[in-house]
Amino acid sequence: MNESKRPPHWRSLRALEAGDAMREETRAEFPEGADQAPTALSRRRFLQLMGASVALAGMSGCRWPRETIVPYAHRAPGQIPGETTSFATAMELGGIAQGVLATSYDGRPIKVDGNPGLNSTGGAAGPMLQASVLELYDPHRSKSVTKAGEQSSWQAFDAFASEHFAALKAKGGEGLSILSESIGSPSMALEREAFLAEFPAARWYSYEALSRENISAGLEVAYGTRLRPRLDLDKCQVIVSLDDDFLSDHPDALSLNRAFARGRRAESGHMNRLYMLEPGFSITGGMADQRLPIKASQVHAFLLDLVDAVSGGAAHGDWAHHPFFEALRRDLLAHRGKAVVTAGPRQSIEVHALVALLNQELGAPGETIHYSEEKLDPSGAASLKRLSAEMSRGRVKTLLMLGGNPAYDAPSDLGFSDKLKTLDSSIHLSLHANETSVRCAWQLPRSHYLESWGDALTWDDTYCTTQPLIEALYEGKTAQELLSMLRGENATGYDIARAALAERFPSADFEKFWRKTLHAGLVEGHRSNLPAPPHLAVGLRHRLAPSAKDEGYELVFAGDPKVHDGRFAGNSWLQELPDPVSKLTWDNTAQMNPATAEKLDVKDGELVKLAVQGQELTLPALILPGLAADTVIVNLGYGRKVAGPVGEDVGFDTYVLRASGHMGFAQELSVSKAGGKHVLAMTQDHWLIDAVGFNERARRVPTLTREGNLAEYEKDPHFATSHEHHPPLISLWDEHVYEGHRWGMAIDLNSCTGCSACSVACQAENNISVVGKEEVARGREMSWIRLDRYFSGDPEDPGMIQQPVACSHCELAPCEGVCPVGATAHSDEGLNDMAYNRCIGTRYCANNCPFKVRRFNWFDYNKEVGETESLVFNPDVTVRGRGVMEKCSYCVQRIEGAKITAKNEGRPLADGDVTPACAQTCPADAIVFGDLNDKESRVWKMHENARSYSLLGELNLKSRTAYMARVKNPNPERVEDSVEHGHHG
Amino acid sequence: MSTVITDKLDNRIDDPAGRPTLITGGLSFGDLTDTVCDVVERPAPKLWFPLFSLAALLAGVLFGLIGYLIFSGVGIWGNNSPVNWGFPIVNLVFWIGIGHAGTLISAILFLFRQKWRTSINRFAETMTIFAVICAGIWPGIHVGRIWVVHYIFPIPYSQGAWPNFRSPLVWDVFAIGTYMTVSLMFWYMGQMPDFATLRDRSTTKARKMIYGLLSLGWRGSNRQWQRYEKAYLLLAGLATPLVLSVHSVVSFDFATSQLPGWHTTIFPPYFVAGAVFGGFAMVMTIAIPARKWLRLENIITPHHLDMMAKILLATGSMVGYAYAIEFFIAWYGGNATEMFTFINRATGPYAWAYWIMVSCNVIFPQLFWVKKIRHNILIVWIIAALVNVGMWFERFVIIVTSLTRDFLPAAWGLFKPTWVDIAMLIGSFGLFASLFLLYMRFGPIVAMAEVKTVMPMAEATDGKRQAQGDYHGSIPGQIQERERETERLDS
Repeated sequence: MNESKRPPHWRSLRALEAGDAMREETRAEFPEGADQAPTALSRRRFLQLMGASVALAGMSGCRWPRETIVPYAHRAPGQIPGETTSFATAMELGGIAQGVLATSYDGRPIKVDGNPGLNSTGGAAGPMLQASVLELYDPHRSKSVTKAGEQSSWQAFDAFASEHFAALKAKGGEGLSILSESIGSPSMALEREAFLAEFPAARWYSYEALSRENISAGLEVAYGTRLRPRLDLDKCQVIVSLDDDFLSDHPDALSLNRAFARGRRAESGHMNRLYMLEPGFSITGGMADQRLPIKASQVHAFLLDLVDAVSGGAAHGDWAHHPFFEALRRDLLAHRGKAVVTAGPRQSIEVHALVALLNQELGAPGETIHYSEEKLDPSGAASLKRLSAEMSRGRVKTLLMLGGNPAYDAPSDLGFSDKLKTLDSSIHLSLHANETSVRCAWQLPRSHYLESWGDALTWDDTYCTTQPLIEALYEGKTAQELLSMLRGENATGYDIARAALAERFPSADFEKFWRKTLHAGLVEGHRSNLPAPPHLAVGLRHRLAPSAKDEGYELVFAGDPKVHDGRFAGNSWLQELPDPVSKLTWDNTAQMNPATAEKLDVKDGELVKLAVQGQELTLPALILPGLAADTVIVNLGYGRKVAGPVGEDVGFDTYVLRASGHMGFAQELSVSKAGGKHVLAMTQDHWLIDAVGFNERARRVPTLTREGNLAEYEKDPHFATSHEHHPPLISLWDEHVYEGHRWGMAIDLNSCTGCSACSVACQAENNISVVGKEEVARGREMSWIRLDRYFSGDPEDPGMIQQPVACSHCELAPCEGVCPVGATAHSDEGLNDMAYNRCIGTRYCANNCPFKVRRFNWFDYNKEVGETESLVFNPDVTVRGRGVMEKCSYCVQRIEGAKITAKNEGRPLADGDVTPACAQTCPADAIVFGDLNDKESRVWKMHENARSYSLLGELNLKSRTAYMARVKNPNPERVEDSVEHGHHG
Repeated sequence: MSTVITDKLDNRIDDPAGRPTLITGGLSFGDLTDTVCDVVERPAPKLWFPLFSLAALLAGVLFGLIGYLIFSGVGIWGNNSPVNWGFPIVNLVFWIGIGHAGTLISAILFLFRQKWRTSINRFAETMTIFAVICAGIWPGIHVGRIWVVHYIFPIPYSQGAWPNFRSPLVWDVFAIGTYMTVSLMFWYMGQMPDFATLRDRSTTKARKMIYGLLSLGWRGSNRQWQRYEKAYLLLAGLATPLVLSVHSVVSFDFATSQLPGWHTTIFPPYFVAGAVFGGFAMVMTIAIPARKWLRLENIITPHHLDMMAKILLATGSMVGYAYAIEFFIAWYGGNATEMFTFINRATGPYAWAYWIMVSCNVIFPQLFWVKKIRHNILIVWIIAALVNVGMWFERFVIIVTSLTRDFLPAAWGLFKPTWVDIAMLIGSFGLFASLFLLYMRFGPIVAMAEVKTVMPMAEATDGKRQAQGDYHGSIPGQIQERERETERLDS
């Protein structure tokens, strides 16, 4: 061991000198498997889920926290123990950076939010980003190198690799293939370049199960070059989405959300109009002003007709006679240059080419849509298919896989996982030991982004840096580091990232620039320039194949809004997050509309057998209104077989039905009732309930979630409350007068899409427990802020509205009077506080809460949280024990924190100083918090807004959370068809 | 003494000339004492041991499960959000309701001079005590943190925190506590003369000692009787408002909340009527087999059963009226949420529970209008047992169905009990039965002293008031009888 590689601290001289040999020995003390959670099914699954065993704690103790031998006599400048610090970094998902501002508490990251420096997202983060901090502490991450399933070490791998890769190098890399996820990172691109320079004959493939390849491929057909479309929703008056869930399933969803919401502030007088055509029901569809459930295959036909109709020709298809079509056509023509059409990634290349054509017709390029060069490699099924063919031909001797999980998520017709086992040598770098790892000779632990140096590019090509907030918990390396190691360079991630930045932005005072970049987490003002609108290929319309026929059942594959392509299956926060639309947790299903379900004679949870091109799968049905007829929608990412105790055997592996020929959707599906039932853990009642409940729900929805049309709003801005009728609301006693602060919240239903980021943010901020599927099925989920989703109108074509509900901190709180021990009481700033150590758990408060936002610890849900996982806890928030009630506190710890800061700085609290976790992360800025005594505050203005109303106001609760009614902007031609609800009292 | 004895076996026949005999079979005072004491003194009936073992086993299950509960948490029940209160509170209200009849029979019927009550009042009072014990278990173990349940009592802690006196749960603590205390005193005091009788008849030293202690030196002297009866009257007066208060206060748990289906002003009288109804039903459910089994047919006569059936009919009708008026007010009040709660009860997912409740509590007791049915002891027993079922379901309907669907449809839920819920409910019956079976073996199951006052010979000197007795007059017959017994034992 050379001098430079010595660890800075050691336990004994022997450890220092012996290095890896000693480490080997230490490992023997902790036999393999000692850290495995019990595999038998316990009654409460969370025991396993959250379970990091004590043995594991011993193991992790060897690595972290590193013992500090030198006393902490001199504090590092700017370091205050117990004070949180924030670092800007970035998470890469599908090759696209998501800017992150990570909060670190005494050296451990406890919370991630969006990087507010990215103007496009403004500090917002989606559910996956929010939950990524839990992934860091996942005790089931890949912890060490394994060789053929046996524990090994980096030393051993190094020995193997230096020999093996030297031999490969001699042959120029012949027989070497590399399979990576999409590579957007500039440093990674540089490393790849360097690597391929040394192994010129090596082949590099990229694969993403949820690839957006069809989009750039479609644009290539249209424009001759691979392009990336960027929507400029701020300029849009009419947005047409063809099966594109751009508010959720899009790498740039956060900024799209923001821009979309900006374009819909009724007060501003500007309201865009969203047309949505989709087979499923996405949250984007829920926000649509006009929505048409349409089979995935028919989007093409519709689009052909639309292109023809808009370009002045005559549409020949059947769709041209659809009333929706005509209204849309006219609206588009009336808004040339202010309209945009977008299609989702599961639509075919032809559809995307046609979309480009249509946008061109509408004068969109340069106005509402911009194109930039698509630098990501093609990562669709075609790429993996080529690799697979090479493997079949035996031309792949060594396969190096950087991340990904192709053994699980490859198209089933490739037989990839079987072929993997036939290789001479296979190496898999992965954060978790997954289905692919177990089939590989070598499995190498990858470091988490919160422990890595690196960089990444956002959707608009802003350069973001990735920096570690914590010493690697396990022995992970980044892909860059591994490539460097294989080249024999062994550069550190730090050097690689610096070099990449220096290469891209040469700077005289690089050190200063580097520090500045690290601090901001990004290089500002260096978005790639948008090229001028390109020229469309000639005769495009006539080259595009006629669309598929509309017959029989169709199967649609959807990326999961929680576990993505399955990579987050081991993340219990995401597993337990209810699906924004179906409200399902811990599962995936075959979604279908009520008519289809009736035809098949199935009910919620009853098993159906799907068969497509010889592949079969049985999974439970879930009935949702508003889906296209004869369409079955399955989410990908479940049914993992090797994913740690959290993710294994949760749901059903729908990849078996997905083949390279139909990655987006499949026709010729045969579906039948299979008999049998499966328990679905949903946090909201099934859409189909008994008739009494169904009718009552339908009756109440308009008063709970108030909604009106733009025309109604313009006629009467107070439409939300002007029809209210209830007895005068008089208090029995003189109410408390608040001299200081009077906290309150406002939630704008016009902006909220239901993306559920707030729910995960709240979970991370407030140490909310995960309870597991069985407990959720019993109705014991713990979320402090939940999203109530209501459908309204015609079950075949319903509207959807989402309503975040957390504790409203009612002035006349029904929970407070009934608590026998006074454990919940009002603070002098108007908060409805919980004194956990006073609570005896009668649950009377929860019974009396009309919003049912109080959550009870039925068991000690934190009992089995291991030492590693407990590092994610926010030390400012009590971890609740068994038997106490809990609920939203308006992030009281943040309020107090902001007050202390303001006091230290000798200034009064300003509006915006206090932002609860939910408001901070909301991409649409739908949640606003502040002081209601401050008449200049945003929240007060929202309370005073014409659209503002009080949920269950007739109960005279005087809630501090006000809701603002949603205003829809349906096409006036279609108003009579549009969902009519709202303006009831 | 046996000169004026009616030996009519069926004393239910209406005789316009007078009131029916309350004690049949031509029992003399001595015979009565023998009959009642016999239960305690003769070897246990064959069935007693198996029955007691079964009951004790079930009670054991209850306590075992309480241990499990304390060890793991209240999540072992089916409670959830929104149904935060499930079986435990249903059971609490059910058992408290059962505990009502005792005080009602002892106190209110005493004040109203309902002589027939004497035969069953011990049954009823004993049942009260045991039912309140069964009820008292639930609120304690139902809380999430059993180890700090004492926060609910007004104890001057150093932290200076008092209970929240606005909370009906705190009122409950006082109401149930007071009720339990007064009932216990009433029950115990009433037993003193009977314990003395048992003591005097004891043949073993242990019995003599124990009954001697229990009778607190009762000698049956005139002065003691005088004070006894004064105290009894006073306690009856004290207990009477409690009959009304305890279940009224329990009903406040619901009535003062704002949950549709709970928030109703009719709850206090409705709960009291329901409790009397349920309590009487339970007395009948126990007394009918017991009178046969313990050979008390002459003391708890068909006439008594007839009277109790009439009370069931009356209170059952009141309960039925309450059900109807709840619906009416929900509609008349114009509160759509409340209206839905009631429609949902009758037609929603728990309609089955609602209709069990209505049939058991309203429809079946209406059969008691028919004298023939009142006189068929088997049918009377079946209906009484069904009323018990119905009353349990009444609480289930009130508590669970109201909670399942309140204001926000997104927060609606369903409730499904776990095996623990069911086992603990059965276990509480086991506890009740164990206590009762023990009492049957060792306690005076009929208030001998009181029954004697309503026997014909108690008033042998006044023919007009024959068979009615007089509580507050002298009871020479009894004293003579006791003297003779004492002599016999002494000799």
